[in-house]
Amino acid sequence: MSAVPEPALGESGRNRHSGRRLSSRRRFTALALAPALVMLVALSLPPTIGVIGLAFRNASLLSPTSRWIGFGNFVLLWGDRRFFNSLEVSIIWEIVTVSGTMILAILLGILIFERVRGGLRDIICLALILPILIPRVSAGLIWRFMYSPLMGVVNYPFQLAGLQPIEFLSRPSLALYAVAIVDVWQWGLFFAVIVLKLLESLPAGPLEAARLDRAASWEVHWFVSLPMLRPPLVTMAFIKAIESLRSFDLIYAMTGGGPGIATETLDLYVYQRGFAMSGQISYAAAMSVLLLVVSTLAFSVLWKLTQLWSR
Amino acid sequence: MRRLSTSLTITLLLFVTLFPVLWTFLGSFKTLKDIVTPVPVLFFTPTLANYAVVLSTPAVQLGLMNSVIVVGCSVGIGMLFGIPAAHALARDVFRLRDKVMFYVLSLRFLPPVAIAIPFVALYLDLGIHDTRGSLILTYCLTTISTMIWLGVPAFEQVPRDIEEAASLEGCSEFQIFCKISLPIALPSLIGAVLFTFVIVWNELLIALSLTSQNFTLPVVAATFTTMGMEVPWGIINASSIVLAIPPLLFIGLIMQFVNRFFRIHTP
Repeated sequence: MSAVPEPALGESGRNRHSGRRLSSRRRFTALALAPALVMLVALSLPPTIGVIGLAFRNASLLSPTSRWIGFGNFVLLWGDRRFFNSLEVSIIWEIVTVSGTMILAILLGILIFERVRGGLRDIICLALILPILIPRVSAGLIWRFMYSPLMGVVNYPFQLAGLQPIEFLSRPSLALYAVAIVDVWQWGLFFAVIVLKLLESLPAGPLEAARLDRAASWEVHWFVSLPMLRPPLVTMAFIKAIESLRSFDLIYAMTGGGPGIATETLDLYVYQRGFAMSGQISYAAAMSVLLLVVSTLAFSVLWKLTQLWSR
Repeated sequence: MRRLSTSLTITLLLFVTLFPVLWTFLGSFKTLKDIVTPVPVLFFTPTLANYAVVLSTPAVQLGLMNSVIVVGCSVGIGMLFGIPAAHALARDVFRLRDKVMFYVLSLRFLPPVAIAIPFVALYLDLGIHDTRGSLILTYCLTTISTMIWLGVPAFEQVPRDIEEAASLEGCSEFQIFCKISLPIALPSLIGAVLFTFVIVWNELLIALSLTSQNFTLPVVAATFTTMGMEVPWGIINASSIVLAIPPLLFIGLIMQFVNRFFRIHTP
């Protein structure tokens, strides 16, 4: 996404005309950059240190005093089955939503690219970016209304066919996937527009050549355009993986983690433990620290890989 | 045959995309009697009662005001700090550039819940828990970093030649920024601002954690479902729509931003 700057232009040739100008430019850069960086560091460092500090204490929102207990919270976590459940739910959520989004986006992007032309294409694009703009809370409530077993439209066809209504959000085996559909409805359709724009930006030559060789449409895309688009597609999957970690808003609005703990992702459990249920803020902090370390490590490695694959 | 299957697929696609929103929109004008039916009702006498209830609820009024102030201030601060920084990062090649860009990106890796916990403890200690100021401050982390990330490509499209020419004419760096770079990058920057706005307007978790009465609109809408035994679906529909209107107002401008973004990055 960040295009590589062209160093040749800036540094060597034209700037040589004045050393004074170069230094004034440096000063301007520093002046423009410093306030933002100071703000970001000032806002991100204290909570990071704070959460680590809290994780080794026994602080609670209910009692004013707390003391150092070392790795006590982490030892408790090891025996906490609800924690491991939420870890599992988070991993399933991550896999289902990232792969669902990317597959739907690629298929739809190619379909529209191949079959729709002109003004209709613009109208479809406009419609497809609508779901992503809807607040997660609204999207959750909208779909919760539609999934309702008694009056939801999703159940209406089952009812017509004389079948029992399906309780999408209260069946433990279905609930997580029913929520994941809403996530893919928002992100997959939006990414389909991006895939379409990427296809439009490709040079026509290689595609034409493949078509002249009588390759079928799917062959053209599988062997020619998708390999050409690998760098942006990898970046998109990376972005989606980060955003999928922010599942709280949607799940909270749709199931609140239920039925039972069937859709309780890690951030929901942390919230329940730290704020809603008992205010055990240190225990919640210990989980957050694990989440923080794992996600920062994973995404840093993934980011390096993304850059490698994008070459 | 092929054309028929195409139109069918596209119609189905548009249906799945738009129907949920349209259905909720319809539902927001229905009485509870028209909503709780085994057979979905398409024709009914519309009522504005749901909106009247939603907009006259004190919690919604307070939430709306809080959202407008908190989102307005945090996006404003995000622009003030983020735009000059994006300009510097886009234009100057210096040793630490990639490191700075990665640092800004890595802020997005931080799980919101991991930020909320220490901030709650900190704000309680400072006695500013549940205030708009504390929420604005926390959101600035999101708005500044998002503005930088989306602002860099906007400034990268400003041709270097024009900036160089202006500097040969004797313009100062600040003049070049104000009179040349900023106007050229402006259309894309507007898109970046709108994206930032949508992200914080829609945010729930941090607002939910950092407030106990001074809720923002998403928090209020999310708590509507826990009212009473009988779920007031008409009111929930209306509040979903009210919450979704501000981001949807900008759909045209955001589409333009997406289009422009890919036109620029076309090789």
